[in-house]
Amino acid sequence: MIPPAAVRAAWPLLLLLLAAMPLVTPGSYFQFMLILVFIHAVVAIGLNILTGYSGLFSLGHAALMAMGAYTSALVSKGLAAVPVLAATGFHVWIGMIAGTVAAAAFGAVLAAPSLRLKGPYLAMVTVAFGWVVWKILLEWVEVTGGELGITAIPKANIGPLVLTTSYFYYFALAAVVLAMVFQRNLIRSAYGRRLLAVRHSEIAAASVGINVYGVKVKVFVISAALAGVGGALFAHQQNFVNPDNFQFFSSVFFLLAVLFGGAGTLIGPVIGAAVLTLLPELLHGFDRIRLIVYGVFILATLYFQPNGVAGFLRLKVTTLPGLRREETPAPAAAIEGLRLDRSAAPETDALLEVRSLTKTFGGLTALKDVSLKLAPGRVHAVIGPNGAGKTTLINLLSGFYRPDAGEIRIEGRPADIRSMHGAAGLGIARTFQTIKLFGDLTVIENVMVAFERHAAPRLWDSVGRTARGQREEGRRMREAEALIAFVGLGDYGMTPASALSYGHRRLLEIARALAVRPRILLLDEPAAGLVAEEIDALRRLIRSLCEAGIAIILVEHRMELVTAISDEVTVIDYGEIIAHGEPGAIQRDRRVIEAYLGSANGNAQD
Amino acid sequence: MEFFLHILISGIATGAIYSLIAVGYSITFSTMQILNFALGMWVMIGGMLTLTFNVMFGLDLAVTLLALIVVMILLGIVGERVSVHPFFRAGSDVWVMSTLAVGFLFINVAELIWGRNPEPVPPFFGDGIIAVGAFAIFPQQLLVIVSALVIFLALHLFYYRTLLGKAFRATAHSSEVTSLMGINTRLICVLSYVITSVLAGVAGFIIVPITFAEAQMGTVLGLKAFAIAIIAGLGAPRGILVCGIAYGALEGLASGYFYTGIRDILGFSLMILVLFLRPEGLFGTPSSERA
Amino acid sequence: MRYFKTRAAIILAAVAVPLAAAPGAGMADTVRIGISAALTGPAAFVGVSIRRGAEMATDAINAKGGIGGKKIELVIRDDEHNPVKTVANHRELVEREKVVAMLGTTNSAAMLATAPIINDELKVPVVCPATDATKITENKAWEQKKDNYVFRLGMFGRGQANFLINTLVKKFGYKKVGLLTWTAGWGVTGRGELNRRLKELGMKAVADETYDTADTDMTPQLLKLKRAGAEVIVNYGLARENGFVARTRQKLRDKTPYASAWGIAAPAFWKAAGKAGEGIMTSTTIAMDGPQSPERKAVIDEYTRRYKEKIEGPPFFFAAYDIVHLLAQVIGKVGTDPNAIRAGLENVPEFKGLIHHFKRPVFTRQRHDALTEEDMILGRWTNGELLQVMYDGSGPHVVTGDGKKRYIDTKTLALK
Repeated sequence: MIPPAAVRAAWPLLLLLLAAMPLVTPGSYFQFMLILVFIHAVVAIGLNILTGYSGLFSLGHAALMAMGAYTSALVSKGLAAVPVLAATGFHVWIGMIAGTVAAAAFGAVLAAPSLRLKGPYLAMVTVAFGWVVWKILLEWVEVTGGELGITAIPKANIGPLVLTTSYFYYFALAAVVLAMVFQRNLIRSAYGRRLLAVRHSEIAAASVGINVYGVKVKVFVISAALAGVGGALFAHQQNFVNPDNFQFFSSVFFLLAVLFGGAGTLIGPVIGAAVLTLLPELLHGFDRIRLIVYGVFILATLYFQPNGVAGFLRLKVTTLPGLRREETPAPAAAIEGLRLDRSAAPETDALLEVRSLTKTFGGLTALKDVSLKLAPGRVHAVIGPNGAGKTTLINLLSGFYRPDAGEIRIEGRPADIRSMHGAAGLGIARTFQTIKLFGDLTVIENVMVAFERHAAPRLWDSVGRTARGQREEGRRMREAEALIAFVGLGDYGMTPASALSYGHRRLLEIARALAVRPRILLLDEPAAGLVAEEIDALRRLIRSLCEAGIAIILVEHRMELVTAISDEVTVIDYGEIIAHGEPGAIQRDRRVIEAYLGSANGNAQD
Repeated sequence: MEFFLHILISGIATGAIYSLIAVGYSITFSTMQILNFALGMWVMIGGMLTLTFNVMFGLDLAVTLLALIVVMILLGIVGERVSVHPFFRAGSDVWVMSTLAVGFLFINVAELIWGRNPEPVPPFFGDGIIAVGAFAIFPQQLLVIVSALVIFLALHLFYYRTLLGKAFRATAHSSEVTSLMGINTRLICVLSYVITSVLAGVAGFIIVPITFAEAQMGTVLGLKAFAIAIIAGLGAPRGILVCGIAYGALEGLASGYFYTGIRDILGFSLMILVLFLRPEGLFGTPSSERA
Repeated sequence: MRYFKTRAAIILAAVAVPLAAAPGAGMADTVRIGISAALTGPAAFVGVSIRRGAEMATDAINAKGGIGGKKIELVIRDDEHNPVKTVANHRELVEREKVVAMLGTTNSAAMLATAPIINDELKVPVVCPATDATKITENKAWEQKKDNYVFRLGMFGRGQANFLINTLVKKFGYKKVGLLTWTAGWGVTGRGELNRRLKELGMKAVADETYDTADTDMTPQLLKLKRAGAEVIVNYGLARENGFVARTRQKLRDKTPYASAWGIAAPAFWKAAGKAGEGIMTSTTIAMDGPQSPERKAVIDEYTRRYKEKIEGPPFFFAAYDIVHLLAQVIGKVGTDPNAIRAGLENVPEFKGLIHHFKRPVFTRQRHDALTEEDMILGRWTNGELLQVMYDGSGPHVVTGDGKKRYIDTKTLALK
């Protein structure tokens, strides 16, 4: 074990070493190469935030870098004509900012359409974007200089001090350090936790109120902005840009740097950028098989070491950087926090009302003309054979599907539920039949992610480590601790969710749903796979939630649980309501018995 | 009018090339929701094999095609095993990188084996021209158009008339249901990858006399084909045929009436626009997902 | 996280130390000449030609005892046709490999990026065999009349465009010129230069068409040129794409005279075009088919013996061959101080190269291009051979391998 003090000293030492480099190495070659490493590292860090932490692939980052480089080059050359700006050096700084903004703007234009779809669209659209940008750079000769590019791009200066190679070295070094700090603060925060949640399960993230699409677009824009910074640095280091450095292969280079160094680790992109930039300088012989080496590198990394070099060093991400642990409130406090304030609510007996809801898939009607009412603090069980449409009902209520006909009303007003996060925003939380947790995150982080509705993280609070951000984070942590204690997972706060037992995972999913502070809780077979004692605990848990005024829809097969806690039961079969009433009456209903017995004998399946 | 028809014909011939390649994306996407990102490089391998068997070894075309199909089947099996199977998890896009990595290997291996200069492959029906009045077309271009039609017809018959094809479509709908029905989804995944690979190889075989054999011959074609697959809809093979040919014709007309440089920018903008307005593609049907 | 920080430092150090360490001990007894060129990728045929030219020249010189007893040693780097790599290579070659002179790269843009660094920081002479952007030699140092370390023995953009247009307009008598240029690479630059020259002559291109790397059927472009009534089509592009142009011409039975910049002055063009390439003309610095001087013939034979193939890029190969000889001659006279070599290059009164026999100073302080418009030649692809076009009272003609003089029909470029 290395003593922590020595470890803490390692960073400053490394920085000192890098800072001393220009003083001890003669000539410009080495500094030149290191500046390139720094620039590549800035872009790779941006890509890592996108690919490593958010799971989105971009193969067009070279083009975004080109946006930054060309914009900065053109703006600073244009502004150099203004004497005041040129003398102070502002022409270059303004240019670099313009370059960053341009890259970010193009990032938004790219991400907005392609992220509406799941799957590989973003990756391929970025490929095409890179190709088109490259063509525009080549052909718009009047502006870009075509193949010969833009020459005599001004060197950065601060007043009379011109940043020649040695000075620029420090400037680029500072940029990397800043980018690293930016990345660390972004990831180790509520904001980063949100990214990790989205990467892990988009559906679960949406169910707790995260606007998955919005988060993805934003993170792409952030990543594009960093590519723009890299491009602007590049333009003023080389004092020359042309399309050759912004081809498809450069985009692959950055992605490879991230993968090889360790996607989803803080230092990974820097290691990757350093190795991939410097390695070819050491191995002049491997030019002929460069693509083979890269291809094998990619496959081997993906296959054997998905977390890259940094993963090999066993680095783990936590989004909980040294928050001061304050006194944990008693579990009882959690339920107080959940208690619905109904003083402002309109006087109505139906918190939720569903009218004639219908949903068809292709020619198949999954749900037909279903209506039901739900009052606060009541448990309404929905039962029926497999494939009857129970989960479809939950999916409709939670915004996963949109109904073909019918209406959902909350507190007497029509609720337009357009998306899962929209449903969460209205106070509808859910669990899943097949458990969807954020497996890499710890139990407490799983819950903290779900405060989106009333304490959504803000970018600046995370990156700037503001007092407000810290305060909110502390609050999230306390409330999350109370919630996990409330569901009985108090001892497991720091355990990764994937390490929990099956029953505990069900409980954690409920705790996470509770963090949304729901008015309506949709439980999709919460007792599936639980043993008797666990079902007992679940029953008590549901009971206390009712007491807090939460309305619950319970889809369940375990009849003992249904009869024990339901106030009302609706039975559906083949998408239609076949019975409705109190549990006792339902148990005696002939049609229900038929449907169920038939189902139990396995001859009524579709 | 003569001018218009001339460039329309040459545009359609180019468009048929795009369709031939683009349909490859659709096959794996509909069964596995994955794409071979380096499809253009697989087309290139088909071209290179044609160069090797036909020009270097002097085999005749039928034998060349047969040998090429055998090699492409083997490559397809290996490619699926190496770049898809290990990374095939729901929701993971890692195969984007792994299929691309295989493409890099192909390019570099091609450069090492076949050199870096474009190698002409003689057209299958000689250097002649088919001329009707003032119009002319290379026999090879005609072959591309005819082959595209034949291949699409064959695919259609496969999908709708054979049991295996129906299994493909069922897998496309839901792999869980399919495996419940006792269909081996793993086999179908491999098979769809192999079919894609063979189609790419055959496309390479047919177009190589037009493009010449070189390591980069498929890169841009693969990219354009992808744009077409998106515009048409990844799940709509017939739409891909139509869109590919229309795209080629529009390209020709854009060059003829405007300016060549604007072509690809227009094509790309069209793709973005389609993604915005009709994400499932012009010919696709909206899909639903499951929780 | 923690362990790793130290490990990161170790990794960085492991990469950094060998980089920082200076290589090349015991190099004092050789004269080191550096080359940075694209040796991989699509431009590699240019880079490889340069490399082979330099290597054959080096072997020839070393066989005769080197430069005053010192052998020449080439240090070769691949720059992948990439400007950043090119700049890095030049820095490395000068600072770590201690080369005293260099041969320039394959990419005009890369050379433009490198030129200011050579003149401002590295101060080691570079002679370019391939890159033709005008501004490479007429750079900032040249404008400011400072010491300019960048020289060229090859085509330069302005000169080549002037040569092509002048020849076609004045010697062939065409009045309606159409352009067909490549949208990538130097086609774009060439397009600008051609339009500039036409404007200077008070003319305007009747059509200004382009094609890109993905185009295999040039029907729209050629039809538009034909519609515009072009009497001659001038092209800037490479062998493969021009092969497609030639084949499309054949398809359209289009006989409009067709001439190109030096991108097709290589055997690859005939390979791509086949018989459809017959009659197409190109500007070049050297036509290596047809009757040759004994010196050239010896080198061509030696090349064929060594590499068992035709020279891939004759203009680049011969330029590199000449440059190494020229450098050897200068270094033999002034020694290995880079600045002295630069001054020496500006003061070579006569040089007998394979591309050209310079009976005037090769370079002067103000003229860093060895070849002028007058030294460029036009070649005609004739049955697979690139023959030099010559002129007499009866018009342009070529001399075929059997020594016969054949006149060119300027309406179709066919041989009479």
